[in-house]
Amino acid sequence: CHDDLDQSPIDPDSFTQEDVFADASTAKGALAKLYASLALTGQEGPAGQPDIADIDEGFSQYSRMLFNLNEITTDHAVVGWGDPGLPDLHGLYWSSSNDFTEAMYSRLAQVVSFSNSFIANASELSETEVEAYIAEARFLRAFAYYNLMDMYANVPLTTVISTELPMQSNRTEIFAFVEAELLEIQDILLAGNEYGRVDQVAAWALLSKLYLNAQVWTGTDRFADCVIFSDKVMSSSYSINMNDANGNGSAYDELFLADNNTNGAQDEFIYALNFDGLQSQTYGGTTFLVHAAIGGNMDASEFGVNGGWGGLRTTKSLVNKFTVDTDALNASLGTQSDWGLVGSATPNGWDGPDAEMHETGTNQYAIYVTLVDGEFKFRFAEDWGNNYGDNDADNTIEPDGSNIAVTAGTYYITLDLDTLTYTIDLYLGDKRGMFHSDGQNLEIESIPPFEDGYAVKKFKNVDSNGNQGNDAGGDFVDTDLPLIRLAEIYLNYAEAALRGGGGDLGTAVNKINELRTRAYGDTSGNISSSDLTLDFVLDERSRELYWEGQRRTDLVRYNYFTTESYLWPFKGDEVNGLSVPDYRNIFPLPINVLSTNPNLTQNIGY
Amino acid sequence: KVTEASSGSGLPGVDILIKGTTIGTSTDFDGNYILENVKTGDILVVSYMGFKTQELTVNSTTINVQLVEDTESLDEVVVIGYGSVKKEDLTGSADLITSDDFNKGNVVSAQQLINGKVAGVSVTSGGGAPGEGQNIVIRGLGSLSLTSSPLIVVDGVPLNDGGVGGSRNVLNLINPNDIESMVVLKDASATSIYGSRAANGVIMITTKKGKDTEFKFNVNSSTTLYTAIDEVDVMNADQFSNLIEQTGDADAIARLGNADTNWQDQIYVGAIGTDHSISALGNAWGVPMRASVGHSDHEGTLKGDEFKRTTASLNLSPSFLDDHLKIELNARGMYTENKFANRDAIGNAASFDPTQSVYDENSIFAGYYAWTGTNGYQLNLAPTNPVAQLALNQDTAEVRRLVGNAKVDYKLHFFPDVTATVNVGLDKSNSHGRNITSEFMPTSDTSWNGSRTAFTQEATNKLFDAYVTYNKTFNEDHSLNFVVGHSYQSFEFDNYSYDSEDEEDGNTYEFIDKSKNVLLSYFGRLNYDYKGKYLATATLRADASSKLNPDDRWGYFSSYALAWNIHKEDFMEDGIFNELKLRVGYGEVGNVNGLADYKFLTSYLASQSTANYQFGNSFYQTYRPEPLNEELKWEVGRTFNVGIDYGLLDRRITGSVNVYLKETQDLIASSFVDPFTNFGNRIEKNIGDMENRGIEFVINTTPVKTDDFEWNVNYNISFNDNEVTKLPFDQAVGGISGGVGNNVQVHTEGEAPYSFLVYEQVYDATGSPIEGVFVDRNGDDIINDNDRYINNNPYADVLMGLNTNFRYKNFDLAIVTRASLGNYAYDNVASSTSYLRRATENSILTNLHTDQFNSGFVNSTENSLLSDYYISEASFFKIDNITLGYNLPNVFKDTALRVYGSMQNVATITDYKGLDPEIDGGIDNNFYPRPRSIVFGVNIDF
Repeated sequence: CHDDLDQSPIDPDSFTQEDVFADASTAKGALAKLYASLALTGQEGPAGQPDIADIDEGFSQYSRMLFNLNEITTDHAVVGWGDPGLPDLHGLYWSSSNDFTEAMYSRLAQVVSFSNSFIANASELSETEVEAYIAEARFLRAFAYYNLMDMYANVPLTTVISTELPMQSNRTEIFAFVEAELLEIQDILLAGNEYGRVDQVAAWALLSKLYLNAQVWTGTDRFADCVIFSDKVMSSSYSINMNDANGNGSAYDELFLADNNTNGAQDEFIYALNFDGLQSQTYGGTTFLVHAAIGGNMDASEFGVNGGWGGLRTTKSLVNKFTVDTDALNASLGTQSDWGLVGSATPNGWDGPDAEMHETGTNQYAIYVTLVDGEFKFRFAEDWGNNYGDNDADNTIEPDGSNIAVTAGTYYITLDLDTLTYTIDLYLGDKRGMFHSDGQNLEIESIPPFEDGYAVKKFKNVDSNGNQGNDAGGDFVDTDLPLIRLAEIYLNYAEAALRGGGGDLGTAVNKINELRTRAYGDTSGNISSSDLTLDFVLDERSRELYWEGQRRTDLVRYNYFTTESYLWPFKGDEVNGLSVPDYRNIFPLPINVLSTNPNLTQNIGY
Repeated sequence: KVTEASSGSGLPGVDILIKGTTIGTSTDFDGNYILENVKTGDILVVSYMGFKTQELTVNSTTINVQLVEDTESLDEVVVIGYGSVKKEDLTGSADLITSDDFNKGNVVSAQQLINGKVAGVSVTSGGGAPGEGQNIVIRGLGSLSLTSSPLIVVDGVPLNDGGVGGSRNVLNLINPNDIESMVVLKDASATSIYGSRAANGVIMITTKKGKDTEFKFNVNSSTTLYTAIDEVDVMNADQFSNLIEQTGDADAIARLGNADTNWQDQIYVGAIGTDHSISALGNAWGVPMRASVGHSDHEGTLKGDEFKRTTASLNLSPSFLDDHLKIELNARGMYTENKFANRDAIGNAASFDPTQSVYDENSIFAGYYAWTGTNGYQLNLAPTNPVAQLALNQDTAEVRRLVGNAKVDYKLHFFPDVTATVNVGLDKSNSHGRNITSEFMPTSDTSWNGSRTAFTQEATNKLFDAYVTYNKTFNEDHSLNFVVGHSYQSFEFDNYSYDSEDEEDGNTYEFIDKSKNVLLSYFGRLNYDYKGKYLATATLRADASSKLNPDDRWGYFSSYALAWNIHKEDFMEDGIFNELKLRVGYGEVGNVNGLADYKFLTSYLASQSTANYQFGNSFYQTYRPEPLNEELKWEVGRTFNVGIDYGLLDRRITGSVNVYLKETQDLIASSFVDPFTNFGNRIEKNIGDMENRGIEFVINTTPVKTDDFEWNVNYNISFNDNEVTKLPFDQAVGGISGGVGNNVQVHTEGEAPYSFLVYEQVYDATGSPIEGVFVDRNGDDIINDNDRYINNNPYADVLMGLNTNFRYKNFDLAIVTRASLGNYAYDNVASSTSYLRRATENSILTNLHTDQFNSGFVNSTENSLLSDYYISEASFFKIDNITLGYNLPNVFKDTALRVYGSMQNVATITDYKGLDPEIDGGIDNNFYPRPRSIVFGVNIDF
């Protein structure tokens, strides 16, 4: 009966290495785990068999932690919850035992371990498709190291599974590894792949991101390489989504809807995390981004979910980046005229002075103007002697006609004195600014109450037809989350070009205008080459990519993250913002990791 | 006739044997006996448990015998592993509690029988539900992550460590009335014969056995009335609406209702329990047997809770071949039906707005009030109406369990000093449970149509023991007892579960979970005794577990003990001591109990269909390599124990003193591992050391003893100091509610396990806490994790038990009390439910704990949750039980009757402000209040 001591697993969910790497088709399940470990949290959805211990399983999801570490630490987001380690993030006072910095480290290191093991085991298989699998595993490992280098700078570099404690590598060595890997696999990765798996463009795109930050990470600028690889991506088959599938005036919001794997947005996604309300469930990912952002008087059903978690809002620093600058818009219309708007709806009321229109042609006038609930009329030279109203609300004007009623909003109003007609259109401007302000205060007085700070409506679990996602219960979200999309590469190109990496600034302006045309639904928001400055690109990154996990890295690159040069509400735990020491540009190595592995030295300052 | 010398009344069941033969008989109920074929000059041996055995030479046809009570009681036999010894010959620390000493009153599960009776043993129930699990800890925690409960051995069959699905308590298996005695083996020199299973001590349960007498019957019947005696201090409707009117905005004030509902009163009810049992004992067709049937039915004070149990047991102990071959057959079956009331109602009753009514005629949820949004469904952060939670959810389970064993002792004919024993045992349980939630349960899910989950669980534990005992006395002075044997145990689990919602979602809806592990052992024990004065014991056990890798699989655990019966020395002959024994022992035990299986193997876990990943248009099942540790080995505990057993003044005073030091090395704990070196950030690892040191003192006295009046007082006190002596890095434990992922306790070197790790609150001049202000203990001008400090721990420094019994003529009165000193608790109810903003957040109203009036806290943050403000001392003194009985020895011919009344959970004296200071683990949250119970019972022997 001594043989009875050699028990092997009898559970039907348990498999041996031989089972999993029997052939390419079973190995694909192991490859799927590499992708899934950045999207989901374990082997049971939404929770139950976690990959990472020491933290609530829902918290341990990669993009949720990325949001915590790269968005909540910035002007883009605040969170009201008192969960351990969470308030420390926006206040920039985390310690080396912070739950999220530790769990993110564990998650990324685990992706490296999973990939190392996959690469070793899959190499034994001879089927041709396995070559691409291995290259994808190497991409994901490089992606994990890209994140580790960004957040922790100096981490161990391991490429094989071993229980031996690894030595520490510095940021430059990690950088070189990631670069070499991506360059090597760019031609092994498929030229095009099924949705959800990466192809060679992903390698170029990650190189573009890598080179953009090279100066911060290695001290050597690589903007020229950034331009080269951004250009490769821009010339690839990926395209900016211009399909306004739900017909709301912009094709931008389609990127964050439940059917963003089919509504056209997928053409822009170079690397995205796939979610499904029934078959890929997690409390992180877009389920988190949708639920956590709903609170106050927001109607959860508009977002295709059963309720909000009342946590996330944003600061005025982000909201103000979307403020419509009507003066600038008007200046671009033509010269200021004597025709103007007067009335209770206008900024100065019936007493004037009037809001002057601009001459767009002979007898053609126009104005961008922000009105309140009330009435107005057109008049000339602030004199009632020559004024027009509209007697029967038919958009035809009559001298001394009736007042024109209007509700609050920003409008584009035209006046045609040849045909004696006018138009009045609500001017939405940049439709990327998706905020909920009703019942919310723009100013944040205190972090916990949901009412302080505008809420964000960017992510939804409804499809382009307004239907809720697959989970009828409204708990889990279908919306996929792009980690790298073409729009970011456009902005990388522009920034690298501005920073002296070569390239063509004209192309940069065109590419940015492509994004702004989509954002505005028309060309009214387009910029000219004189507008293209580094600060403009940073603000444009905010507008285009907010809440997509990029912000801290961007602010660090601009040296705005810790310094006094840029402050936002509750930066450094002060209402109006406060600078913090520079060492906070990177996160500490987790205290548990340090005490496990004596080969490691803590990042300076912690 | 055989009579009792002191009272003159007849003694039933006394064995009478003609010396040197197997011819014998026993007395009837009145003490009469008839023995035929007796020759003059034969010697009769008259023996009866608890009395001195007499030998009489036959010289007439009527021989009356007066048996004298054996006050020394030193012949008491203590069951130890793979054998038994006379208490006098015991070298280790073992406490014997017989049925006479058991706690009376409302005892549903066996652990309650000994609560407060044994020094160094703490028994804490998980809450006030009937049949609730009882956590037993002997001499402090011995492990950080593995099981710290003792091994329980029933009639030689060690039970599974794990719980049984659908059952509240492992020991619900046994009807307490069937238990003859319980032996608590505390130190490793006594337990190490059980090697790796005995790390946390052993409780040996011996059930009542058949006797070779005329049939006798016992009927027991009792009724218990339960009353809920305490509730969480939350605001009443007046307090709450005043608070909202003063601090809330217009929206909040508009939400106030007009009702005055005490939600806690709505969920707790008075409850009733009944117990009936009958047992028969005697010689059936030449075979001594005992059979019993019992039935219990107890409701819980939480509305809808119920525990129903039917037990049956059978014992047959025939002997053959002139007693050379003895067979003992035990079979014990249990069937329980549990109804589990939804305990979420406990927290929700404390949270629900007291100004709202229970019912709302406009509610789509079967008329139960709910906080609804514009679509008529419940807001998703709102608490669910607790009355609806109890009424619209059915959680039931049935458990069948059979524990049986067949033990064969064969005393070799050609070499009668040697006995060969084979014991084959089976412990099999089978549970079925289901949880059905009504379609009307308040929910935010607009597609909700009710749900059903179900499970079955089968656990099979097989035992095969074979051992040989050699027993010999040489030259009258040297006694030798030698046991050597082999044991094999296998543990198999086969679980199945079903989820209707997964089925509706098109996901996998049936789940199977299986495992098996095997434990193989060899053991030996040598007892040597010189003139009954000097005793020595040595044991060795080798264990191999399939849970460990083949290289580290075998563990060898030995123990050594010496004892000196000082009172038998010549110089003590005239002293006052009837007993004075000095014991010294050292022993080792191992532990892998509670460790998951196959942790040393590389394996892959497939994803369930809710965690698949999409490529193209297909969802793929994923395979995850599991964290592993190829180097797992035994956790080893070493105990050094010095003890004195004493008895004096004709044993009117007895007791013992023990001093021990218990070190656990290579503690297995779930430990952080560099995630670059494994497939996760935690693995089970042999990592730390822990130490328990303690002193135990027991004194049992009989201050008065006359024919009519007897008074006994038993007192025990134990001191234990538990410290983690080595741990490379801290482990956060003790999850709390409030926020997600907050832990209030830590295992850290130099402190007791589960010590509280908290922020130091700053108070203003009036002594009120200042919200959000904490002491910057490390002086870095930032308040973060680095400022937390250790503030006490949940384990008592001192435990005491004080019990007293009075008997006056036919009346008896027993009082059981207990005290626990130096244990601390974290009031999670106050910490998570008393901040002001909670009252109005999430667009609803939520009731607050009245501590709001003390703290005035507005927000809940990680720091305020983890403030030392919420840690307080929870020492207590409890009167557990008072029982008053009246005995009618001869109510009818041959019939004895006893009636009794008993009150349980009589009084608690404590400074602790929460519901109950006796909180297992020290975190007080959503505690199911222990009810007060009153029992009326009758016990008939005929």
